[in-house]
Amino acid sequence: MKLKLFYFPIIMCLILLTTTDILHAQFKVNGTVTDSKSGEPLVGVSIVVKNTTIGVTTDTKGNYDITVPGSQATLTFSYVGYISKEFQVSTQTGTLNVQLKEDVLGLQEVVVTGLATSIKRQNAANSVATVSAKELGGTTVNETIDGALYGKISGAQISANSGAPGGGFTVKLRGVTTINGASQPLYVVDGVIVDNSSNSAGLNAVTAAAAGGSSSNQDNPTNRIADLNPEDIQSIDVLKGASAAAIYGARASNGVVIIKTKRGRIGAPKISFSQSIGFNSISKRLGVRQFTLETALANYAPPPGAGATPDEIAAYQARKSFVESLYNNAEQNGFINYENEMYGQKGLLSNSGLSVSWGTAKTQFFVSGLLKNEDGIIKHTGYEKQSLRANIDHQVSKSIHLSVTSNYIHSTSDRGLTNNDNTGVTFGVSLAATPNFVDLRPNQNGIYPDHPFNTANPLQTRDLMTNQETIDRFIASGKVDINLLQTNSHIVKVIAEGGVDNYTQQNKSVFPRRLQFERISAQPGTSIFNDVTNMNTNLRGVVLHTYNPPSGQFTLVSQAGLSINNADQNTIVSVANNLIGVQTNLDQSASINTQQNRTFQNDRGIFLQEEFNVKDTYILTAGVRGDKSSRNGNVDKFYFYPKASLAVNLSNMKFWNVKDINQFKLRIAFGQSGNFANFGAKYTTLGPSNIGGYGGILIGTTRGTEGIRPEQQTEIETGFDASFFDDRATLEFTLYQKRITDMLLNRELEPSTGYQFETFNGGEMTNRGIEVGLNLNPISSANFNWVSNINFWKNTSKVNKLPVPAFRAGGFGATLAIFQIEQGQSASQIVGIDPVVQGPDTTIVTRKLGDHEPDFQMSFYNTFNIFKNWEVSFIAQWKKGGDNINLSQLLFDLNGTTGDYDDTDFNTTELRAAVAGIQPGDVNGVKRTKLLGVSAAQYVQDASYFKLREVGVYYNLPRTTLNKWFGDNVSAIRLGVSGNNLITISPYQSYDPEVSNFGTQPVAGGVEVLPYPAQRKFFFNVKIDF
Amino acid sequence: MKSRIVSDLLQQKILLLFFITLVIVGFSACDILNLKDKVDPNGPSLQALSQNATKDEIANVATGIESGMRVDINLYMVDVGMIGREVYRFLASEPRFTGDLLGKENSVLDNNTFYITRPWRARYAVVRNTNILIESAQNSTELTDNEKNGAYGFAKTIQAYQLLLNLTLTYDNGIRTDVATDNLGPFVNRQTALGNIATLLDDGYSDLNNAGGAFAFPLSDGFAGFDTPATFKTFNRAIAARVAVYDAKYQDALTILNDSFIAPAGDLNTGVYSIFSTASGDQINPIYRNPDAQSGDSWVAHPSYITDLEAGDDRINKVFQRSQTATLDGLGGDYGFYVYKTQTDPYPLIRNEELILIRAESRIQTGDLPGAVSDLNIIRNAHNLPDYSGAQTESALIDEMLKQRRYSLFGEGHRWIDMRRYNRLNQLPIDRTGDNVWQQFPIPAPENA
Repeated sequence: MKLKLFYFPIIMCLILLTTTDILHAQFKVNGTVTDSKSGEPLVGVSIVVKNTTIGVTTDTKGNYDITVPGSQATLTFSYVGYISKEFQVSTQTGTLNVQLKEDVLGLQEVVVTGLATSIKRQNAANSVATVSAKELGGTTVNETIDGALYGKISGAQISANSGAPGGGFTVKLRGVTTINGASQPLYVVDGVIVDNSSNSAGLNAVTAAAAGGSSSNQDNPTNRIADLNPEDIQSIDVLKGASAAAIYGARASNGVVIIKTKRGRIGAPKISFSQSIGFNSISKRLGVRQFTLETALANYAPPPGAGATPDEIAAYQARKSFVESLYNNAEQNGFINYENEMYGQKGLLSNSGLSVSWGTAKTQFFVSGLLKNEDGIIKHTGYEKQSLRANIDHQVSKSIHLSVTSNYIHSTSDRGLTNNDNTGVTFGVSLAATPNFVDLRPNQNGIYPDHPFNTANPLQTRDLMTNQETIDRFIASGKVDINLLQTNSHIVKVIAEGGVDNYTQQNKSVFPRRLQFERISAQPGTSIFNDVTNMNTNLRGVVLHTYNPPSGQFTLVSQAGLSINNADQNTIVSVANNLIGVQTNLDQSASINTQQNRTFQNDRGIFLQEEFNVKDTYILTAGVRGDKSSRNGNVDKFYFYPKASLAVNLSNMKFWNVKDINQFKLRIAFGQSGNFANFGAKYTTLGPSNIGGYGGILIGTTRGTEGIRPEQQTEIETGFDASFFDDRATLEFTLYQKRITDMLLNRELEPSTGYQFETFNGGEMTNRGIEVGLNLNPISSANFNWVSNINFWKNTSKVNKLPVPAFRAGGFGATLAIFQIEQGQSASQIVGIDPVVQGPDTTIVTRKLGDHEPDFQMSFYNTFNIFKNWEVSFIAQWKKGGDNINLSQLLFDLNGTTGDYDDTDFNTTELRAAVAGIQPGDVNGVKRTKLLGVSAAQYVQDASYFKLREVGVYYNLPRTTLNKWFGDNVSAIRLGVSGNNLITISPYQSYDPEVSNFGTQPVAGGVEVLPYPAQRKFFFNVKIDF
Repeated sequence: MKSRIVSDLLQQKILLLFFITLVIVGFSACDILNLKDKVDPNGPSLQALSQNATKDEIANVATGIESGMRVDINLYMVDVGMIGREVYRFLASEPRFTGDLLGKENSVLDNNTFYITRPWRARYAVVRNTNILIESAQNSTELTDNEKNGAYGFAKTIQAYQLLLNLTLTYDNGIRTDVATDNLGPFVNRQTALGNIATLLDDGYSDLNNAGGAFAFPLSDGFAGFDTPATFKTFNRAIAARVAVYDAKYQDALTILNDSFIAPAGDLNTGVYSIFSTASGDQINPIYRNPDAQSGDSWVAHPSYITDLEAGDDRINKVFQRSQTATLDGLGGDYGFYVYKTQTDPYPLIRNEELILIRAESRIQTGDLPGAVSDLNIIRNAHNLPDYSGAQTESALIDEMLKQRRYSLFGEGHRWIDMRRYNRLNQLPIDRTGDNVWQQFPIPAPENA
């Protein structure tokens, strides 16, 4: 193998390095390590002789026994989640019992600094957000990992694309970082870069959503990070900008989310079983219009104008009596609230987890399983997931450590048919066309009546269609750590890790012949089959050298290595029409159309990094990464991404004598990262164009750019971290500026070239922001402990240079408001038509009407421990500002079915009202409809919110009770209730301010067209540790 | 303390230098970091085609040219058909057809709207494909010289035809004729463009004369009878004859016609067509629409087509009496457009009927009035009409020739162009007060001309 060949000379050389340290005398120290509050023994605490690599861990009873060289030394006791302690020991010490204090404010968290290194947060020069397992899943059950990060990361804008079961999120770290490139963070799980693509199901064949004002996909796909089981996660580090993410070079422009899964622990098998049962419901109902006979007739049978022909009058009479009969029927049999009918299901939620963790000093195992079954709030929708994980750590020999992770996931999600369409078939669009006086329910024979005012009966569509996504995914990684050399001052390690992420996604969508809209089509019955196979492989080798000079004045850590990433994806989507009978196989049809698309990416990187730490006072890091990729025009060219940072712990300096400030650190960091062009940007490819039975090829609309380069991001981040009052409070303050140059933009070409577009590098934009985090432990007593974590963050973006004319980046045109990229403006500005007075005239112009970016966001995370056994925690998030484009309301208005149609509280400016011809007596629905074509301002709505994201109340059964009931068999039982999104306060006039009709987008989030409504969830939880 | 750090560092630095050297040696010693520049797996790449195309790939490019000629021809037909007052394209969701194209009130032709940008680009896309064919044939090792000449002749002929269609749209605004590379030539005026197109056709003709007995690629059934170099060149000459009359070079036209497939006694429909099918990757005829379709999405014959038609003329078959009047935007018609009767009816590029009419026109213009009358009578008789009985004067015969062209070539994109050539746009009917008849389209905005 070539990798081995590459390392061989290095390894040989390093082995040959001689050392002259001679061991002298030695002595033994032993004792027990316990929790300072509960007095419980701590298992697996690491005890290391400082400035050496000599160390042991505590056993299952918290006992340790260490042999120390020399006659005196310093022992460091460290344990995940606890504050480390150091003790001077000597031959006189003998027994040393130690109590460790829980690190409630995360002072001792370790954050990533390099591909093979990390550092204590106290010494970090970057603001890296870390989310622990407890923060991630300690409060309630979350469906997906990205969903579990809500409100937990300052600097992040995390937004659900809809409430559909199975996920679908947009994550933006520190603002809009690209306009045409990939927009989502890089996810790295145990060293494996995992795929997070959104692969659409091909529903456009039925909805024709892309045929109208927008050619974008509106299939509401999930993004694949949803597959991971949140309960397997030990910790998540979020590198928000290039200054920290430069270690991932050319793929890191949108930030990096580094996920570590749980590992086995030394000790007897610890079995943990958790079961949550709950239900969900629509988080906000919009209400439906209560028609009177008069309004029903006005809406569905308007009288003909003056001069109508006899035919027209006859048609009107027929329509009128038809509506009257429908209405009379409803008066007798009851009006139907179709919002409740469609979105009223209280879905059952069940989540079962089993994990086993055990190990000897040499080998540790962690095995976990998950069974999840969640119904949606729409009948026949839901999400099921089964996940199995096995993580193994093994100390092969004194100097070789091996760890292996493996995870298999199977999931199915039924996501219904929501969002925009141009055929009137999605649930939302059909519902908007359904007044409360028609009866669409099936009769005793199960026959659904045709919808009198729409091409689809939404109840029939919901009950008879299928839109099921099935995932089979395998993620595995292996890592070998080899200690090549270990002396008192030198440690040389070689780390080799590799991994694979392989999945198959299949979307089966069936629209049987008997559906109303299929029956009337030319080719009734549609079956869509989408098959995506994805394969990512990673390989990384690092040589790590730690140098502790005998003087103990500093530590120098050097690392160098290379990384290899490959990704291949193959998508085949087939649409079969005119199905035979009730058959759904693709060949059981009269016509079939297949499309295949393959993409690949091959990346090769090299990196070199130095970390220089002078007694935890000055911490200087500098590094560079070189990346080349098959996505670049020149595949042989390395693009280099440097980084440098400095942290200065003033509080560690001699002059520092501020008593109440335990730590004060200034930090500054700089770094660069990149973002690749979309697949295909460099190719000029001819597409199929056949005639008369001969296969032909014709140029497409895109001209390849042979010299396409990655987007370049340069970030400077600075700030300070302080810790006050004996570590009872910490403050983190960060300012950053990201400058994105060489942006990937599309340019319209002269059509006489035969092409329409090409991608090119140009332009510049910036994001500037501020992040403040305050962690408090205001009350800490045996019976009451309160930890509070408050974050504030704000980002503003600006397009500084745009070498092309302003262009639209998502939406349905200026009449309905649309995102527009324009020089000198925010990258997320929304423009639309609006009347303005110009001199003597009033003209309708296109102007800025809003911005999707929030003014600021805040999050509040509080945990209370009461009387030892009670635990209450909640996370609340406040997003101030940030506009959405609400077109759901427009569609309800156009159909006359809006809940507030007949109210009169809608207000607009006098100018808009005058131009639109709004009369004083007009009701809301009429007012808003009149504004269509005059102004788009009514669609651009403030999507501020305050959400109670998560809340949980738990009771831990006292140990004495457990002993009495179960003896030694059960070590802990935890009971609780929890909820997600229980409270949402927002001025936004639709289901939920978090929404995206176009799915995960670089810019155009927040466009709403009748989505799957957001849900709130409520759980009962039991967790038993054996 | 400082000196201690420095000395420690120095010691470390030596080690580090050694270490880095090793890493660099390690990297260069193996090819683990090398990447292959792979091609797009989703389709043939331009680069590969232009450098070492196989004979099969060259055939694919040729077929793509033939297939690409059909893209957006419905928009071309809407443009010339509506401005020439031959048809109305009613589409309720697209008010610009009945607004901009008919010059309703203040409406004007926009330079960045799909009705000009799309058909314009589609034609240039085919032109690009013809240039790719020429380049790949030049660099191919699998073609004989004859086959190469055949490819050049085919490419140049089609290229000329496509350029001519765009020139008919922008007319006096001109077109680009030099677009062989990404470094585009300038816009040239109509006269120059017609000259360049004629030259291109002549070059193609001479290539075809040295192209042996067969092409290296198949042509569809639309070229049945014109699918060898010897027969295809009669199509080349037919287009050249059309270019000659557009350029008012009538004597040239008569000469050129001799080498075309003109057949006064033959079937008027003999010619070259774009064909359609429902097969995978193929197209259906985008101009076809049920002639009795709902008003909101229909193709309707201009009412004057029926009112101006002579009694007994069988060309009434090109329209269909609707069950209901189609109306939109203050316009209306009782007859559906029925030139293309199914979604797979072929669309003619040029037919024998047009060649006879070109000869009639050229004879009028060169003083051979009896010859012209005899040609016109071929057409009249073929459509169930008696011999021409009007005045045997040049101006009367021009009227008659234009009338026969109007009916014979109805729905094939000629009326507007013919009326414009004879400065008669002011004779086209105005349906609504305030409507305008446009002379030409503006150059599409993205051309940055």
